Amino acid sequence: MNQENKRSILVGLFVLIGIIILVLGIMTLGGQQKKFVKAIHVTAVFDDIGGLQPGNNIWFSGVKIGTVRKINFFGDSQVEVEMNVEEKVVEFIRKNSKATISSDGLIGNKIIVIYGGTTDYPSVEEGDRLEAVMPLDTDKMMETLQENNKNLVDITNDLKVLTGKIAAGEGIVGAVMTDSTLGVNFRTILSNLERASTNSNNMLADLADFSNKLNQEGTLANDLVTDTSIVPDLKATLEGLRLTVENAQVLSKEFSTITDKLNSSDNSLGLLLNDPDFAKSLKKTMENADSASYNLNKGMEALEYTWPFNKGFKRKAKAEGGN
Amino acid sequence: MAGPSGMRKYIFSKKIDTFFKGLADAWNFVRRFFQEVFVPPYEFKEVIHQCYRIGVESLPLISLTGFIVGIVFTNQSRPSLSEFGATSWLPSLIAIAIVRAMGPLVTALIAAGKVGSGIGAEIASMKVTEQIDAMEVSATNPYKFLVVSRVLATTFMIPVLVMYTDFVALMGAFINVNANELVSISTFFAQVFSSVTFLDIFSSIIKSLFFGFTIGMVGCYKGYTSSKGTEGVGRAANAAVVISMFLIFIEELLSLQIINLFRIK
Repeated sequence: MNQENKRSILVGLFVLIGIIILVLGIMTLGGQQKKFVKAIHVTAVFDDIGGLQPGNNIWFSGVKIGTVRKINFFGDSQVEVEMNVEEKVVEFIRKNSKATISSDGLIGNKIIVIYGGTTDYPSVEEGDRLEAVMPLDTDKMMETLQENNKNLVDITNDLKVLTGKIAAGEGIVGAVMTDSTLGVNFRTILSNLERASTNSNNMLADLADFSNKLNQEGTLANDLVTDTSIVPDLKATLEGLRLTVENAQVLSKEFSTITDKLNSSDNSLGLLLNDPDFAKSLKKTMENADSASYNLNKGMEALEYTWPFNKGFKRKAKAEGGN
Repeated sequence: MAGPSGMRKYIFSKKIDTFFKGLADAWNFVRRFFQEVFVPPYEFKEVIHQCYRIGVESLPLISLTGFIVGIVFTNQSRPSLSEFGATSWLPSLIAIAIVRAMGPLVTALIAAGKVGSGIGAEIASMKVTEQIDAMEVSATNPYKFLVVSRVLATTFMIPVLVMYTDFVALMGAFINVNANELVSISTFFAQVFSSVTFLDIFSSIIKSLFFGFTIGMVGCYKGYTSSKGTEGVGRAANAAVVISMFLIFIEELLSLQIINLFRIK
């Protein structure tokens, strides 16, 4: 191979590699900017596009799905943005999806974000217009911020007056801050509060302990709370108790009647219990009866030795002695 | 200034008149190129030979320079971006800088130094040794053989060299970014191409065509119009580099304005 041919081949190779680098760059760039993919055109009409430019990206669920194709004025002062949306993602974008203008990062390029959309709506088609949602306007944000600033100034002014009064010892807070006795009282209150809180803590601990005991299985309280079979028994017992109480009431009523009767002297027992004359008379009768029985005993003793009764007494004594 | 015959010897002054005469000569030289380039016979072999000299033989120097530029530029940009916690933007920044400006500019400047001076010195020495006159005598069009072939070679080789420089510089930047930010090559190039546009690439190529044309044309003109003597060879080589570089910067400035018109649209 002569020198000339060798040079020609090297030049050809050199140019070819250079062109390959260029083509690869263009293809990569085109692939990234979705220049060579099939796309459909959808539009959205905004009041203000905030510096959006043709070529800016379209995002859907955080994925780049196309670019801004054209920007035209629409109506009086609105702006129509025509978008290239990749055909392969069209099925995920519904007709009721919304488009808004956002930015890529904090200070990045403007982008259009498509979001929302429900499956009960069909997918977007060529020429569809998406509902445009106006992004948060920076000017409005600044206006609000300005209002906040004014409010902050008012608040700090009020605070200044307030702290001035406190420092001067005016009002309750001022007095607390400046009066040393109030401070001491406050400390006492705090210490009392601390004590009260300690006590309440102890009480709570006791209560916890108590509730633990209540929760112990096998105890009456736990059974009462947890055992459902005990309730019918308890109800039956209570019913019995209720009947017993009713009976006791009837009984006590009857006792009351009896005692009433016993207290009155129009009956024999009442007379026996209440009438002193009757008591005297009864006592006399008893004394007479006692005397009569004494005399009767004497008479019986005399009878033992008197014929014909003496034989009978002898037979009785014999029979007792034989046993 | 009036001469002995009463006519003015110079319209303005010697220097100003010489400057304008030089401009007119340069314009005629450039115009002649466009007259000759489309007319046969074509000097393909000489064009290929010059392409080899200008393109292939310049590749190692241009590659090394591009690689160093990529690394240095990345390293120098990092502190500024890291102040904002935005080192992740390094690939985008470097890509824009290299594709839009650094690649074509560095390539053109290196080529102006290496190729432009070479062309200027070579043609000037041929002029001094009366080889150009000999060509004319032997019915060979020296302009076509020497100038057209070299200008065509520089015009077409500089854009190719720019492609290499861009690629090598981006690789250099990647090595630096990868070492410091642990960014993978796919992420790096995804970020590079997210910030570069077709306009950047095409404007860079078109700009390089002009740079190449300028280097070749200035080198040839300075060589072709060199004064006699060995001193003229040195002057031609020196002037070729200085004027090429100056014109490259002017063209860079103009191209920036023109491209921005398209960018705003």
